[in-house]
Amino acid sequence: MSFGRFLLKRVLQGVLVVWGVITAVFLLRFITPGNPVDFVAPLDASQELRQQIAAELGLDQPLYIQYFEYLFGLLQGDMGYSYLSGQEASVIVFNRLPATVELAVAATIVAVVLSIPLGVISATRRHQPADYGATTFSLLGISTPNFWLGIMLLLVLSVQFDVFPVGRRGIPFVDAFTLLLQGNVSGMQLWLSHIALPAITLGTYFTALITRLTRSGMLDELGKSYVRAARAKGIPETLVRYRHALRNTLIPVITVVGLQLGTLIGGAVITEQVFNWPGLGLEVIGAVNARDWPILQGSLIVIGIGFVLVNIVVDALYAYLDPRVVD
Amino acid sequence: MSERNSVEETADSASATTDGRTDSRSDLLRVRDLSTRFFTEEGQVNAVESVSFDVRDGEILGIVGESGSGKSVTALSLIDLVESPGRVTSGQVWYRNPDLAEEFPDAADGEFVDLRELPTRVRRTLRGPSFSMIFQDPMSSFNPSITVGEQIAEAVEVQRRANANPRSTRSRTQGYGLGRFILDGVVPNRDYTDPESSRRAVELLEQVGIPDPEQRADEYPHQFSGGMLQRAMIAQALAGEPDVLIADEPTTALDVTIQAQILNLLRDLQDERNMSIVMITHDLGVIARMCDRVCVMYAGEVVERGTLADVFDRPVHPYTEGLLGSIPDLDDPAPRLQPIEGNVPSLLDSEMGDRCYFADRCPKAMSECLTHPPEFDAAGSEEHRARCVLADHDYDPSEALPEDFFGGGSPAETGVTSTDQQAEDGATSEVSQDD
Amino acid sequence: MVSPRTVRNLKREWRDNWLAKVGVVLVVAMVLVAVFAPFIAPYNPRSQSLDDNRLPPMGFSKTENQTSSEFVDGEAQVVSEEVTINATWDHPLGTNQLGQDMLSRVIYGARTSLLVGFFGTLFAMLIGVPIGLVAGYSRGRVDDALMRFADVMLAFPSLVLAVALVGLWGRATFRIPDPFVALGLAPGMPGSVVIPGTVIAVVALVTWVWFARVARGEALSVREEEYVKAARSLGASDRFVVWKHVLPNSLTPILVLGTIQIAAIILLESALSFLGFSGTTLSWGFDIAQGRDDLATAWWVATIPGLAIVLTVIGINLVGDWLRDALDPGLGGEGGSGA
Repeated sequence: MSFGRFLLKRVLQGVLVVWGVITAVFLLRFITPGNPVDFVAPLDASQELRQQIAAELGLDQPLYIQYFEYLFGLLQGDMGYSYLSGQEASVIVFNRLPATVELAVAATIVAVVLSIPLGVISATRRHQPADYGATTFSLLGISTPNFWLGIMLLLVLSVQFDVFPVGRRGIPFVDAFTLLLQGNVSGMQLWLSHIALPAITLGTYFTALITRLTRSGMLDELGKSYVRAARAKGIPETLVRYRHALRNTLIPVITVVGLQLGTLIGGAVITEQVFNWPGLGLEVIGAVNARDWPILQGSLIVIGIGFVLVNIVVDALYAYLDPRVVD
Repeated sequence: MSERNSVEETADSASATTDGRTDSRSDLLRVRDLSTRFFTEEGQVNAVESVSFDVRDGEILGIVGESGSGKSVTALSLIDLVESPGRVTSGQVWYRNPDLAEEFPDAADGEFVDLRELPTRVRRTLRGPSFSMIFQDPMSSFNPSITVGEQIAEAVEVQRRANANPRSTRSRTQGYGLGRFILDGVVPNRDYTDPESSRRAVELLEQVGIPDPEQRADEYPHQFSGGMLQRAMIAQALAGEPDVLIADEPTTALDVTIQAQILNLLRDLQDERNMSIVMITHDLGVIARMCDRVCVMYAGEVVERGTLADVFDRPVHPYTEGLLGSIPDLDDPAPRLQPIEGNVPSLLDSEMGDRCYFADRCPKAMSECLTHPPEFDAAGSEEHRARCVLADHDYDPSEALPEDFFGGGSPAETGVTSTDQQAEDGATSEVSQDD
Repeated sequence: MVSPRTVRNLKREWRDNWLAKVGVVLVVAMVLVAVFAPFIAPYNPRSQSLDDNRLPPMGFSKTENQTSSEFVDGEAQVVSEEVTINATWDHPLGTNQLGQDMLSRVIYGARTSLLVGFFGTLFAMLIGVPIGLVAGYSRGRVDDALMRFADVMLAFPSLVLAVALVGLWGRATFRIPDPFVALGLAPGMPGSVVIPGTVIAVVALVTWVWFARVARGEALSVREEEYVKAARSLGASDRFVVWKHVLPNSLTPILVLGTIQIAAIILLESALSFLGFSGTTLSWGFDIAQGRDDLATAWWVATIPGLAIVLTVIGINLVGDWLRDALDPGLGGEGGSGA
């Protein structure tokens, strides 16, 4: 099987999963107690008005008709109308999406940049201070609730020492980047100063997780025969470590990272809450509390699609690193 | 022994007769009192204990013994590949290399340098052009995620770069690090190896008899059969044109029919290139077929060494006799093979005691075997030596140890309780026969 | 199932790995604290004493501007003076905004965390393991259906799904009487243990997929073992084979995953209660949320319950590492779905 066919197969599987996600989200409303009309209609609404609202929401139709209407609506980018906010749900969801993506990407960059060298150093200097430092850090990192870490960072760096601003997004990355292109770095500085704490908060768990996986994977790989054989043929130790051992270490690491992406997105929800970061996560919590179904459903579907997309990328990376997968 | 014709004799040994042939070759390696220990949590393991032997130009030296006798660790010690918690603790490995001797007079004795006295980085540069090694299991000795051709090209590339910039630290590290790894991964058509090296890799594959080398070079190890992959590993080991090729059980993992092909290949290559081979095996058939001289190892020691004829026709050490007794002889099939009773002993320092390590399994153990024997000269060629009192005088039944001297009739216990990693997988004598 | 070799490995890891001991000590201590909370806690964690609000923990003090009215020369004047408030042994970990004793709240919080962690994991296991075993053993359609369903489940981050489900389904709790208080052994303590039922159910619903995946993988590989083939060729029923061979051989990885999942679920529970999606106020996450609004004046209200979470989760993770190293179930980093 060629790489292209492998990718095609993965994409088709992804489409199937997205369909499942949409169906599950659609059905969520029907396994939830309470009538959606209650949350839209005024408390003293007459029976007539309530029926009118139900008709407008399409609730008087049979289930399968509602389902197909929802599905076709989604295909056209229509997530429904949010009566509570008086806007199209898709407008709100896509307005909020960039902030979450920025946060998640920044956290991933923090995690990958820190964790892989840390894991490699830890494995190659086993039982030395650097290793103890890295293992202690990673144990703490996977054991600390990220919302509490965020609060502690705020407490020390914002409240006590005023190094970073207290929460809120300073400026969208796109705007900061546009300013940078015009030769103005202040936008980028503002963006960085605002995203630093949330990104560290969200990235810590992942940094710790990948450090642990990289360390144990490297130790495994460095003990394998092919590493000894590589040394025997005289190639430099750095080449043995990075070109041989690290490459094979990353294969299982990537799988786990793909599986744990949900944790990253879940972490984003709560990080947004701590830092008042106006992303999808904050929106989901608001929508749950207000029973704003179109926004809740739209957000969940967007999160699900995001997860599926990133996993396709992860699988492609996996296949690139491990030729045995494609065969 | 004379079945090995002297076809490969070179100018400097042309006058040698078959019997004196080995004598006329000069030493390439002189290993003296080499000891390697593992410092494990259970205690100190004496994997290799005061081992001495020579490797000569263009010969095949066999090292034979059961699993756990220290033969593989001896090989790894030669090229400085012993891994933590193991360490070469004493001894010298003299390697004949006038250039190095000139450069490092402190470590030199005439044309020879003691590898253990050389700086680590210099010692490492010798892997490839001086020493190379092939391993037992070709499948696990190749990186599964890199093509075979690329891995061989890597070995070529290292030598190419080293030659372009002889023996400087820079040329060995070659500026390769994490950054370079990521860059190579991200930027297409950018790699460590040069196309020139890849071409050379294909040539090498062809030389070891792999059909369609060009195509196979682009395949991954899992697409190769065991025999083909072992050929590829040999090709890889030849990339640096080594003086000494160490072959650690090169045929153990292979089918019997493939074994013979690989042995023939090794012998042909050795003839062509006049390199020396150290052949490590538990298979006496391989030894008989391939080697000029033999070292028999037991419990980390060389217990008997000499020419092939010395060891096979005039064995002195009861252990060697036992090994030979466990091979079926087609001319005179005995009703039963004679196994060596008991197991490989523990190599834990605390459990070893100061006696002949074989005494507990030896049918001819005497009271004097309770002190550790030195190496005696033995009958046969000049270099026949054995670490056994029987080389000095004959067996005296009146001095024999009582049968249950070593704890009841089950000497096997010592082997089973052994915590040494290597002894563990060699729970039984596994000296096998030739095909 | 538990072979002598396994026991030996456990012992060796125990002897050589002092971290395992730290982990077990932490976990045992937390369990004891949770069980005997009514005896250990100095105060009822719910009783308020507004006069004693925001007292600092031992070793710290705080300064506060106190204003009072005084009559000076017959005229009322507002006097503001700086007062230093020192910690007292009455409240070693200080008090929160309502004057509730932090130590008592942390002790009672352990009950909620461990209850949800343990029962959430147990229910997730009870759902996931049978489904996984059956799917892996029977393969074919059942297996395909399960794997596709698992893919869909995994596409929702467990925290997001949990927030949605708890938020939509309500925060139902049920109460059982605290036996120690009912017997009159600990007067003045809360009379009942609040069990956040919805949270436990939801947490199990969003994490069982991990157990199903591992059980399926084990079933797939055990199925191919010679002794299972032999049993089948002798005419053993599928039910017998699953029960006698597949399940016992899958227990090790499931046990290790279960340990790690307890830690993950404790983190998940604390996140839920931090966001306000919990049925009880006696929860570390809830206290952190309270303290978060008061960082500048009472930093300890948010800090101390967080430390309790970290200690508990570290303990469980260390035990998990110990089991993993000793039993070597080959899980890699599969397990765990932290918040």
